[in-house]
Amino acid sequence: MNPAPSNSPEAVIFDIQRFSIHDGPGIRTTLFFKGCSLNCAWCQNPESISGMPEMTFYAERCIACGACANACAEGAVSMDSGRRIIWEKCTACGACARECPAEALRLVGATYSVKKLVRESLRDREFYEASGGGVSLSGGEPVLHSRFLASFLPELKTHGIHVLLETAGNYPFTLLNPLLPFIDYIYFDYKLPDDAAYRVHTGKGNQRILDVLGALVDQAASLTVRIPVVPGINTGFHQIKMMAHTLRAYGISSVSLLKYNPLWEAKIPRLNTRQNALGINMNAVDAVDYENVINQYSQYHIKASLPS
Amino acid sequence: MNTSPAYQNNIVMGNHDDRPSMGDTTERPIRTIGDIDEIQRLKRLRGDILNAPYHLCTQKASLLTEYMRQRRPIGAFVKLISAAHFRQFAETLENSRRGIPQGRWQVMAGNILNRVYLKLEQAGRPDPVIEFSRALEYILRKMPLTIYDDELIVGNSSAHRVGAPIHPDLGGLMMLPEIDGLAGRPINPIQTDPQQVRELHENIFPFWFNRSVMARAPLYSRDPNMFNTLLEGNYYILTQFAGISHVTPDYPTLLKLGFNGIRQTAETGLREALERLAKLKSGAPDSTPARASLKNKIAFYKAAVIAAGAAIEYGGRWKSHLEQTARATADPIRKAELEAMATMFANIPAHPPASFHEAVQMVFMGHVMLHQENFQHGVSFGRMDQYLYPFYARDIRSGRLTPERAVEILGCFICKAGELLPLFFDRATEYFSGLSSASGITLGGTTPDGASGVNDLSYLILLAYDQVRLRQPNFHVRMDDNTPREFRYLCYDVLKKGGGIPAFFNDNTVIPALVLADIGEKDARDYAVVGCVEWGVPGKSFPAAGAVFINLAMALHLALHNGRFAGRRFGPSTGPPERFSSMDLLLDAFRKQLANLVERAVDGNNVIEQTHANHRPTPLLSILVDGCVKKGREINAGGARYNSTGCQGVGLADVVDSLTAIDQVVYQENRLALPECIAAVDADYKGYEDLRIYIVNKIPKYGENSDISDHYANVVSGIYTDTVRRFSNPRGGPYFAGFWTMTTHMGFGTRMPALPSGRRAGRALANGASPCDGKDRKGPTAALSSAANLDKRFITNGYAFNQKLNPEYLAGRAGNILLDGMITGYFRKGGMQLQFNITDPSILLDARSNPEKYPDLVVRVSGYSAYFNDLTDAMKEELINRTLHCMTERTCCT
Ligand code: SF4
Ligand code: SF4
Repeated sequence: MNPAPSNSPEAVIFDIQRFSIHDGPGIRTTLFFKGCSLNCAWCQNPESISGMPEMTFYAERCIACGACANACAEGAVSMDSGRRIIWEKCTACGACARECPAEALRLVGATYSVKKLVRESLRDREFYEASGGGVSLSGGEPVLHSRFLASFLPELKTHGIHVLLETAGNYPFTLLNPLLPFIDYIYFDYKLPDDAAYRVHTGKGNQRILDVLGALVDQAASLTVRIPVVPGINTGFHQIKMMAHTLRAYGISSVSLLKYNPLWEAKIPRLNTRQNALGINMNAVDAVDYENVINQYSQYHIKASLPS
Repeated sequence: MNTSPAYQNNIVMGNHDDRPSMGDTTERPIRTIGDIDEIQRLKRLRGDILNAPYHLCTQKASLLTEYMRQRRPIGAFVKLISAAHFRQFAETLENSRRGIPQGRWQVMAGNILNRVYLKLEQAGRPDPVIEFSRALEYILRKMPLTIYDDELIVGNSSAHRVGAPIHPDLGGLMMLPEIDGLAGRPINPIQTDPQQVRELHENIFPFWFNRSVMARAPLYSRDPNMFNTLLEGNYYILTQFAGISHVTPDYPTLLKLGFNGIRQTAETGLREALERLAKLKSGAPDSTPARASLKNKIAFYKAAVIAAGAAIEYGGRWKSHLEQTARATADPIRKAELEAMATMFANIPAHPPASFHEAVQMVFMGHVMLHQENFQHGVSFGRMDQYLYPFYARDIRSGRLTPERAVEILGCFICKAGELLPLFFDRATEYFSGLSSASGITLGGTTPDGASGVNDLSYLILLAYDQVRLRQPNFHVRMDDNTPREFRYLCYDVLKKGGGIPAFFNDNTVIPALVLADIGEKDARDYAVVGCVEWGVPGKSFPAAGAVFINLAMALHLALHNGRFAGRRFGPSTGPPERFSSMDLLLDAFRKQLANLVERAVDGNNVIEQTHANHRPTPLLSILVDGCVKKGREINAGGARYNSTGCQGVGLADVVDSLTAIDQVVYQENRLALPECIAAVDADYKGYEDLRIYIVNKIPKYGENSDISDHYANVVSGIYTDTVRRFSNPRGGPYFAGFWTMTTHMGFGTRMPALPSGRRAGRALANGASPCDGKDRKGPTAALSSAANLDKRFITNGYAFNQKLNPEYLAGRAGNILLDGMITGYFRKGGMQLQFNITDPSILLDARSNPEKYPDLVVRVSGYSAYFNDLTDAMKEELINRTLHCMTERTCCT
C-alpha cells in the first residue's frame, strides 16, 4: 500500500456502491478501498488486492474497434492478444479505457481526495437517516488507508453518518486504534483454523490478526465476527473445532457466516492476477450443509447464524 | 461481546417513532392485514367481476340519442345531405385509420357543412345546459336498474357488469371504423352485441357525427386541420375531445347538503338572478353584457335544479327497485339486506346520509350518475378517509357498525368502482393502454388545519382494497412528517403483495407547489390525487389534469432539424445545426421549438375546452364542484373555484440524455461535429454503432445522479415548465406542467426516429420522470435522487416516478424498513411522487405466454394500475425489460 504521501491524503477506491443492503443495517453506501495485506485464495474481489489502479479487460464486450490501440502511448495494447493489454508495458494510465466505447477495457481504481469521497458518501444521506443506514468501509483492507481515514472519518462524523468497518485485521493495531472513535461498528472477518492454514491460503499468519481482535475485544468495541465459509477449507469437523476454540479464547460467542460464492472466478481472466481458480463449483457450494455447520459451532458454544 | 442483533435493533428502531396512532375505539384498533379475516362476500364479488367479460355499453348513447332526436325534427332535404356527408365522414375516418390524412378541401367542406347544421339547429333551441340536464334526467329515468348477488352498494355505471360506455356526443365517433371488429381486436378486445353495433351504425353515429364535440371543435380552430395533426400522434395528444372528466367532485358537500340542499341553493340563485333580470329589463337593451350574463346564469340555475331533481328521482327509483327485489327474494338474509338498503334510499341521495353505509352508497350514486354525463376517465373520489370519517366514527360510537362491517361495505364499494372501463380507439390505445378508468382514492396526508389526516378509516380502506385487489380504483397515499409508522407499514405490506398499490405522494413538496400556483394554503393542504398522478383541490378545482401530452423528444428533433420532421415543416426555422457553436444556441432552438409545440397544443386544447363550454355542458358535474352554483356558472365555462389545465411533457429523460450526450461528445470531447452527430442519429446509427455504444456506455444518464445529467434535467424541465405556465385556458385558469405519461411514451416512441441519447428509432420513450429503461445503473437511490433533484416548484401537475423492485428483497419487517428508507429518504430529498412495481419478472414472462393463468395479475403502468393481460405487446415487453433492481452486490470478504 502506498497512498501518495502528500498533505491532503488520497485513497484509491475501486467501487462506490449505493443502496447496499447487505453490508450492515439499513440503506448504505459501501466504499471499496483498494489494496489488501492478505491474499486469500477465494478473494471475491481479486481486483482489490493491489493498492494501485489496474486495467481489466472484458473480452466478450470488445467490438474490436481499435480505439484502445490508438489511445495508448505506451504501446501496451495488443489487438492480437486475447487479453488486449501487455501488462509489462501498461502504466494503468487509463487512456485506453476512456476511449473504449464498449466498456471492455476498464480501469479499476480511482483516486479520491477526502473532500470528493465525502461528497459521494453524502449523496444518499437522507436514505441512511430514513433507514438507519450509513456508510460501510470495505475493500480490500480499508484500515491500510489509515492516514486517509483519519481525515475522512471525522469529516463524515460531522454530518452524523453511521460508519461500519469491514476488516480482516491484518495490520498493526496502531493503524486502527486512532480511528475507533469514528467507527460505530465493525465486521471482523476471521477465516481459518490456525496460523498454518492462514499462511497457506492467505499468504500471512494469523497472529497479528488475533492481536487486533484481542485489542478490539479489550476495548469492548461493537463488532460481529464473520466467517467466510469456504467449502473444504474451513468446513471440516477439525477446522470448525479449532476456529471455535480460538474465537472462544477471545470471548467471542456468536459469529455470522458468509456463504461462499464462486462467481468471483469469472474475474480471473480479466485481470493481471496470479490468483488461480479454487475450482469449487456450484455443486460443491450447494452441497454445503449450513445447518450442520451451525450445529457444529453450537457444540462449542458459538452461536453461528446466516444473515437473513 | 457480539452485539449484532441488539445493535441492529438500536440502529433500526432509533430513527422511528414507535407511538401507535390513536384509534378511538376502546378495542384494539385494526392496523395490519392479519387484523381482518377474509370476507367471503368480497371474495365472491371479486370473482364475479374478474369473470365478467368486458362489454361495450351503448345504453347512455342510445338514451341520449333518443332524447335529442325527439327534439330535433329535421327536414327531408337536410336529412339527405346529412346522410351523404355521413358516408363521406365514415370513409375519411377509415382512411385516417390507415394513415391517409384527410384532404384539405374535404376538411373545409366538412367544416362548412357542420357549421350549417349548427346554425340550423341553434335556431329556437333552449340553452344547451338546460337541454343536457333534461337529457340526463331522461337517461336516469329510463336506464334499467340491476342488483347483483351479494352487493351492499348498488348502482350501475353501465348496462353490463363490466362495461365500456361509448360517448357519441364527445369523441365516440372515433370508434366508427373499428366497432365491427371491437370484439376481435388484438389489444383490449371488448365484446359487442350485433344489435348494439347495428344501432350505432344506423341511429347513433349518423345522428352525432356532425354534432359531437369532435365535429364542432374544428369550427373554433385557427387550424381547420386540427384533427389530422392530432391523429398523427407525433407531436402532442389532446385528450379532452373524449370528454373532460379528470376531476374530483365535491363529495363532502354532497354528504353535507344532499341533492335537496344543492337544489335549494340553486333555486335561491335562480330567484335572485330572475329578480335582477327583472330590474335590468326596465332600462337596459337586450344585448348588454350584464343581461347576457344574467341569462346564462338563469339557464345554468334552471339546469342545476333539473339535474339535482333528476338525481333525487333516480334515488327514488332505487328505493322501489330494492323493495321489489326484496319482495321477490326468498333467502331471508338477503331479503333483509335488500330491505335495509331500500330504507337507505328513503333518505339518500336527497338528504344527508344517516349512516356510514348510506354515506358510501351516496358517493357511489354520485359516481354512477356522473358517468351518464361524463367520459369514464379520472373521475375520482378524493379523500375518502377524511369525508367518510365522521359517519364512521358516529356509527362506531353508537355501536351500529363494526370495523369488519365497514371493510365489507368499503370492499363492496371498491368492487363497484371496478366495473367501469374506458373505451379507446386503436391508436388511442397505444397512448392509453391498460383499460383503466383511473378513479383515484386519496388517503392520509395533512388536513387543511395542518394535522395528520391518518385515521382508522385510512387503515380500513386499504384493508378493504387488500381483500378485493382489483386493478381500479387507484389508491394514493399522501405522506407528511406526521404519517404514523403503523400506517406506512400497512401501505408497504399491501404494496408488497403486488399490484403497485398504493402510490405515494409527498405533502412537503406538493403543497408548496400548489400554493405557488395561487391555491389557498388550506385548500392546497386538502389536495387529492385525480386519476393517476396529478392533483387538484377536491370539489373545488376543475384541473383538466390529463388534457395535453407533449412529445418533448420531438421538440429536440425539430431543434436539430431546423423545424422539420419527416421532411415536413412543423416548427419555426431555428437555423441549421452548423450554426450551433455552443450548447446555449442549441438549447435556444430547443426552447423555441418547444414553445411552438406547446402553443399549438394549447390552441387545440383551448378550442376543445371552448367547444365543451358551448355545446356539451355538464350540469351534474357542475353542481358537484364548488363555485359553479355560487357563481351561477357551468363548470366548462369556468364555474369552478380553481381552473387549470394539465400539460404533460413526455420523454424528459430521453431529452436529458440526448443533451448530455451532445454536450459531452460534441462540445466537451470534440469527438465529432454536431451535423455529423445528427447524421449518425438520422441513420438510426447504421454505420455509427461505435458512437452509439460509446454514448450508451460512457455518457452519464439521467437516473445516475451524476452532476451533469441532473443539471440538464433541470434545464429541460425548467424550459418546459416556463413555457407551459405562460399559457392560459378559456376558463381563465393557468396551464400546469407535469411529467407523467400514462402510456403516451410508448405511442410517441413508436413514431419517433432515433435520438442522440443512443436510443434507436421506434423504441419507447422514458415513462414519467423515470430514467430511460435500463439507465438506472447506479441503483434505486441514485435514480430517486435524480428525480428528487428536479426543481419541483413549477411541476404543478405532478410527476410520476416508477421504481421496479424485486419482491425477494422486501420480505418481512426488514423489507418494510428498506422500503420506508427509500420512500421517506426520497421524500426528505424533495421527491414528489413514487410508485412501485413489485412483481417477479418470471411471473410476467409466464403471464405473457399463458395469459389465461393470470386473469388478475395487476401491474402499475406509469401512474395507474392495469391488468397485465390488458396491455399492448409493446407494454408487456417494456415491463419485462425494465431494469430490475436485482441489487447484484459484491460479496464482500476482506
Ligand atoms: S492503461 Fe494506459 S498504458 Fe495501459 S494499455 Fe491503457 S492506455 Fe496503455
Ligand atoms: S477500444 Fe474497447 S472495444 Fe475497441 S478494440 Fe479496444 S477493447 Fe475492444
